[in-house]
Order: sequence, then structure tokens, then C-alpha cells
Amino acid sequence: MPRHISRLLLLFVGAGILALVARWYFTADTFYQFGHFRGKAVGEIAAKEPAYQTARYCEDCHTERHAQWSANNHKSVNCEVCHGAAKGHPENGKLPIPADTRKLCTLCHERMAERPRPQPQIDPAQHSPGQQCIVCHNPHAPKLAGVVAKVAGDAAAGAKTHAARCADCHGAAGVSPNDSWPNLAGQHGAYLVGILAAYKSGAQTDAMMSPIAQGLSDAEIQNLATYYAGLRCEAKPRKSRLGDPAAGKALAKNCAACHGDAGIGGNPAWPNIAGQAPEYLVNSLKAFRAGLRKDPMMAGVVRGLSDTDIANLAAFYSAQNCAPAAKVKETP
Amino acid sequence: MTNPSDPSGKARREFLRRLGGVAVACTGAAACSVAPQSGGPVAGPDPSPVKDYDWTKHHWAFGVDATKCIGCLRCVEACKTENDVPGDAHHFNTWIERYVYLEGETKARIDSHHDPVNIAASGSEKEFRFANRYQDAKVEKAFFVPKLCNQCTHPACVQVCPTGATYKSKDGVVLIDDKYCIGCQYCVQACPYGARYFNPTKGVTQKCYWCYHRITKGLRPACVEACPVGARIFGDRNDKQSPISLFIRNNRVQVLRPESGNEPNVFYVGIDKEVS
Repeated sequence: MPRHISRLLLLFVGAGILALVARWYFTADTFYQFGHFRGKAVGEIAAKEPAYQTARYCEDCHTERHAQWSANNHKSVNCEVCHGAAKGHPENGKLPIPADTRKLCTLCHERMAERPRPQPQIDPAQHSPGQQCIVCHNPHAPKLAGVVAKVAGDAAAGAKTHAARCADCHGAAGVSPNDSWPNLAGQHGAYLVGILAAYKSGAQTDAMMSPIAQGLSDAEIQNLATYYAGLRCEAKPRKSRLGDPAAGKALAKNCAACHGDAGIGGNPAWPNIAGQAPEYLVNSLKAFRAGLRKDPMMAGVVRGLSDTDIANLAAFYSAQNCAPAAKVKETP
Repeated sequence: MTNPSDPSGKARREFLRRLGGVAVACTGAAACSVAPQSGGPVAGPDPSPVKDYDWTKHHWAFGVDATKCIGCLRCVEACKTENDVPGDAHHFNTWIERYVYLEGETKARIDSHHDPVNIAASGSEKEFRFANRYQDAKVEKAFFVPKLCNQCTHPACVQVCPTGATYKSKDGVVLIDDKYCIGCQYCVQACPYGARYFNPTKGVTQKCYWCYHRITKGLRPACVEACPVGARIFGDRNDKQSPISLFIRNNRVQVLRPESGNEPNVFYVGIDKEVS
């Protein structure tokens, strides 16, 4: 064989060997393990930690809220749709509670021709314009029916019942002389109907209130509620030595959607708390925290509150005027 | 493609055959950079690349019931959070298209969350909402259509990938290997559904992968988890009682662009002739 041919062949063989070595060196170990790709990459993709944890993840700690949510219309809307992905919660802090519910709720409920008919839809320009949705709707049990009790009683008859049964503790004018008991003058009627019915049925218990409520007929409850709702609250704003009202004001932003900016809320299903005695407010919040008073909304709200937070909130609300000049108009 | 369970003799014949091809191809030096398709390391005993999950036992599929979609875009939001999708409105793994036929018009008006009008309505590119732009118009027919990667049985994107960075998993999902993707974007152009996009910060192509990290752990994809009306259905077609099997069995389903030959695995109910 001529020398130049054998050299050329040698060169080819050398180049081939070099190519094979380079390929062996550069190809990842798991390439071709399952096909024309890096086998290890599949495991790498699958190893990523999920951000959305599902409602099951929330259930153990937020049991009551979960129970309420899963029994109501929004059960198809998972927790993390509104509160964000739960990855890192609770270790890294709280999940957001949506502030602008008007914006959030209309994502699904603004009336559009494009939306399927069965979807409940509202016209934001007509449906309580400017009002936050959660003033009337509990996001975890959004249907209003049964939430706001009807109040249609006889105020004069209520006044008599009040004088006979309630005035000793709650004051002749519905303003309690004792710091442990709530003022009732000017309280929302629907709230009073609800809470008295709860005492009567045993859903809510209190050593003093349970026997009294059990002695009331449904008509008497209606009359009382009508009477108190129409009574002007004469309680004076108070200074509390228990806490710091300024710190309480900052915390009260979380309560404002239901209880109003200064303790007078727009939804009659939920109580006014402005001007109540600080001791009463502290006791109530602690009772919610301990589970002695049962309410799925409040249970979630108070869970994260310390004793100091509670004292500060009580100091803020007790210092508010319970009968502001421009009384908040009650929505029917 | 080599099958590790093949008798070694067949693999060797295949290897030699391809080696001959490579020798011919190597006369053009550039072709040498294309790796031949056999002769790699032999597979280990592990049949599945994912721990505690057998990818040969599943056949994932996705359903979309467009008659239920309310266009709330919570799926897009959930997907962005779950999958580190770039925060602006123009990169997304999944999206929703709105089809509106106005009275007297024969063509549908189509928009999606990244339409300037919708971005203005949401207030920022990081939030998503459909503007109520047709509230004063006479709408004859209108509906929303959720879209995502179809995880095709014969994916055009996988065919064109020059590096083996995108591939079809055995359980039916088209995946992207970030480390092997060179960002050439052939796949972005090859996809007939526009399901892929280039992430300029990472320099790689991204797309929906049915939350592969979730489904291999027994969870549903984030968009399915977030959908408040059950417009998105997901499950294993090997399980005859899974939501997706029931969805396909109980509905007249269709796929997008069947003529493309890709054999998509997202099954639609309630879409119109203009949706493709």
C-alpha cells in the first residue's frame, strides 16, 4: 500500500477514535437510558416542591373554617385560590387575607355575556357599589340566606321584656353598668336575634344568658331585638388602662371589613363593638380564642392574637363613639 | 431509540448500522456534532427515573370543559406561582382565550389576558382579569376557552429539538431538560398550538408540563386545583374511573388541530369551529 494512502487511513482511524472518545466524554451518563434525552432530567423535574398544597393541607389547623367552607357554596373554590399558595406556611408567616374583596370576587362574579349562565353574577355598578363584598357575604359561606336574621318585632313589647328581664345587667337604657356585660342600645337587631337564638338553642352557652334566653319565646326575642336596635346608645367612649388604643387601631384594620372602621359595621348580622367596655371586649375575644364562644369567622381572626393584641384592640374599640352622628345606614 | 431490555446483539447491529451512517455523514464535518442515537451507557435496574413513582403505569390526559369556564384566570395565576413563570403578562404556560361573536359579525373577536385592554382592567401585568369590554355591545355568542400544552403523542417540538432537551415521558408528558436546552427556539416555532415560549432570563424554552412535579406525587396540576368551576379535568387514562376517563367516555370530545398529526392529549368539550 502506498505510504500516502496508509497515512490517510491512519488519520481517519485516529479521527474516528478521537470522535468516539469525545462523545463518550461529553455524553451525560443517563443520556439514552430511556431514549434520546438525559434520563436524570425526569427526576430533576419531578423533584420540585409543589407550591399549592391543596385544601387538605389547611384542614388540620383551620378545622372549623374548613368545615364551614366545605359545607357551603364556595367548596369548589380551594383555599389557595384566594389566600395564595401555602408553601412555606405556617413556618414563614401568614397567608394574605384579601383586602380588596370587591376586586377579588368580581373576577368570578362580575356579570359578563361570556360567562356561563349558571355562574352567579352581579352588576358591580348596581350591587352595593363601593361596598366591600365581605361586609354582607361571608366568603366561606357566601349565601346570604340565614346569615342575616329578619327583625320585625314590636319595640314597645320589647321595652317591657327588657325592663323585666334584662335591665338589671344591661342597664335601664341598654348601657350596662357593669364592665363585664355588653351594652345593647343601638346594637344590630339581626345580630341580637342570632345570638339570643343561639343561647336558646344551646349552640352558644353562658351561665347567665342561657337560662334567660331559654325562657324567651321567638316573638319576645324579635321584640327585644327591635327595641334595642332602635335605642340610641348613650355609652361614653372610654379610656382603657389595659392596652394601647393606637396599637389597637393598627390591628383593627383586620376587623374593619365586618365591624366597620370604628366598631360600627354595615352588616346587621355582625355586632357593633364601638364603646363596649374594654373588659367585656377582652373577655369576648379570649372566649373566642379559647373556643368557648364558637364562630368560624372569629375563631380564625383571633387565633393569631396575643393577650397584648387583645388588650390593645379592646382599648381601641372601647374608646370609639357607639352612636356616631351620622349613623351607618343598615342594609336590609 | 434504544430499548435497554433488548438483547444486546440487536443493539450491536443497530450500533454498527448507524456507525456506517455516521462515517458517511462525517465527510461533512458539521454533521459530526449530531450525536448518533445508540451505544450510550446501559440502563440500570431502576425502571423509573422518579423515586416512588412508576412512569410506565400511568397515561395522563387532560380535559377542558369550555361550557363551564368563567374566565376568572385563577388557573393562570396558580400556574405562574407554581411554576416560576416570568411575572409579566406575556409569558405563560396556560392561558384563556375569549371568543365573542357580536351581532352582525361573522368572525369571532378573540382576546386573552395579555390584551392591553385586559392588562389595563387588571391594573398590572402581574394580575390577570378579563375586562368587561363587551358589556354595552350586542353579544350574540361568547365563551372562554382554556388552553395549555397538548402533550401530543407525536410532538413536533420533540422532533425538531437538536439536543434532546425536550422529550416525551413514558407516562405521556412532554418535558424540557433545562440543562440541555440551548434556547434555539426551534420547538417554539414547531408547536402548532403556540404552547411554548422562550424565557429570556433563563435562556431556555418553557411550557406547560402538567405540573409533572405534582402529578408524580399524586397531586393534580395547579390549574386544575385552582379552577373553581371544574372546567379543567385531569387524570390517568389507565384508570377507567378517573375523572379524565369518565370525561372522555361521557362526552363527545374533540382535540385542537387534529389535522396536524400531532395527536394532542387535551380533550375539549364545548368549543366552536373557530377554536384551533
